[in-house]
Amino acid sequence: MIQRVSYALRETLANFRRNVTLSVAAVITSAVSLLLVGTTFLIQRAFDNLLVQWKGDVGMIVFVRPDVQPDALAFIEQTIKSQPNLVKTEEVEYLDKTASYEEAKRVFAGDPTTLSLLSIDTIPTQFKVVPSTTDPELVRSLASQFRGLPGVSGVALAEDEFEVISTLSGFVRTVTIGMSLVLLAVAVILIWNTIRTAIFARRREIEVMKLVGATDWFIRVPFILEGLVQGLVGAIVSCGGLWALNSAWTNGVAGFKAGTGVSALVVPSGYTTGVMVSLLVIGALAGGIGSGVASSKFLDV
Amino acid sequence: MIRLENVSKMYGNETPAVRDASFDVAKGDFVFLVGPSGSGKSTLLRLVNRQERPERGNVWVAGRNINELPNSQIPFLRRTMGNVFQDYKLLANKTVFENVAFALEVIGKPRHLIAQQVPQVLDLVGLAGKEDRFPNQLSGGEQQRVSIARAFVNRPFILLADEPTGNLDPATGEGIMSLLDEINRTGTTVVMATHDHRVVNAMRKRVIQLDRGVIVRDQERGVYE
Repeated sequence: MIQRVSYALRETLANFRRNVTLSVAAVITSAVSLLLVGTTFLIQRAFDNLLVQWKGDVGMIVFVRPDVQPDALAFIEQTIKSQPNLVKTEEVEYLDKTASYEEAKRVFAGDPTTLSLLSIDTIPTQFKVVPSTTDPELVRSLASQFRGLPGVSGVALAEDEFEVISTLSGFVRTVTIGMSLVLLAVAVILIWNTIRTAIFARRREIEVMKLVGATDWFIRVPFILEGLVQGLVGAIVSCGGLWALNSAWTNGVAGFKAGTGVSALVVPSGYTTGVMVSLLVIGALAGGIGSGVASSKFLDV
Repeated sequence: MIRLENVSKMYGNETPAVRDASFDVAKGDFVFLVGPSGSGKSTLLRLVNRQERPERGNVWVAGRNINELPNSQIPFLRRTMGNVFQDYKLLANKTVFENVAFALEVIGKPRHLIAQQVPQVLDLVGLAGKEDRFPNQLSGGEQQRVSIARAFVNRPFILLADEPTGNLDPATGEGIMSLLDEINRTGTTVVMATHDHRVVNAMRKRVIQLDRGVIVRDQERGVYE
């Protein structure tokens, strides 16, 4: 068994060396495509941070003072829900201090100064309101009505803040996902072609192997491993690139003035690690599948 | 050991390469397949090691109908037979030792067994001392001996040889034939395709003669004619 493993590894390495240019091309292509896939994930996550407050058609947020009295809070809720013509009353959602603080952690991910000023006791709680009318004037007048209520510290409107970004986010997602899929397909085709060339270069050896009774899997495994390694090396390179990009971006954002909104466009490092692990898995799978298909297609008995 | 029952093999829509061939080869036999180029000798060998499948008829090897063998079992069938070719099919980037060891390596034989069996078989074929040469440093006869060593190192029941003396001068060919004869005496069944008159006439073994895919003669202790 150990002998077979060492045989497979030796052959994989030998193939890689025999075919340096093609292998390098395959690695670079998979690295670039995976980097794009990873960037897509991160951009999407950054936009999500920015928009987390406005998920699910929320059009208006009514912020409530942290020191509000329970009867004042009840009155605010009652007032909001007394407008069934303008507000989807069943979708009005109240975020208490804990929930609001969790959300703030994402909104101010890149702005630790602001975040440190907030605590679970000092954070405003909030009502998320989904308007049922599309008329912006009506929503505005509703907002100014809520602003006057005792205990309300402010009202924010989606159309003022993030509608443009929301649209932009959708567009960027479509473009980057499309591009990365095309590049990933190119990477798989390149790996497939590398394996085909490797098989052609070793056809005499393979012929002898078959005649002396090597099993198909024994012949195939080094080729599949080669493709898998190409995909994996590409993925490792792309992880390095992603890490560099993300830290450059995070440092850049830290230089913006606090409270400009851009500060939310930062991705927590735990999430980045998750993306990198996915890239490694995608790279290995793409390489393994490309070479697996090629080796079964070109190694037929 | 080998039995063909009414075997026919076509390539495309042309005239059959082998037509309705039937014969039996007993364990330990030495059989010549003779006939001009294109008469179907090589095809018969390729039917026995399952590089080809017949359109009609059955091929039995060691009591098994190999047409019914699933693909996954073919490697194990091939481990019971050795193959020798006119062009040796040696791997140029491997030494004599490595070429022979390769046959054991790829069927997963442990290293200590390889270290023991390869020198034995190289000694048998008369190449002791040339383990570290590369094929292009050997004469044609020596290369053919390496290829025979590779075919025989796993002690197969059957040795299939396709024109093994085809590229060699008469004296060298004689040496190869006495080696094959020696292997045959260990109990290995040998089937050899050839159109070399001298070799066949000198050995006086069983001769199966083919003409355009049809067996026209099957004679014990025969000559080429």
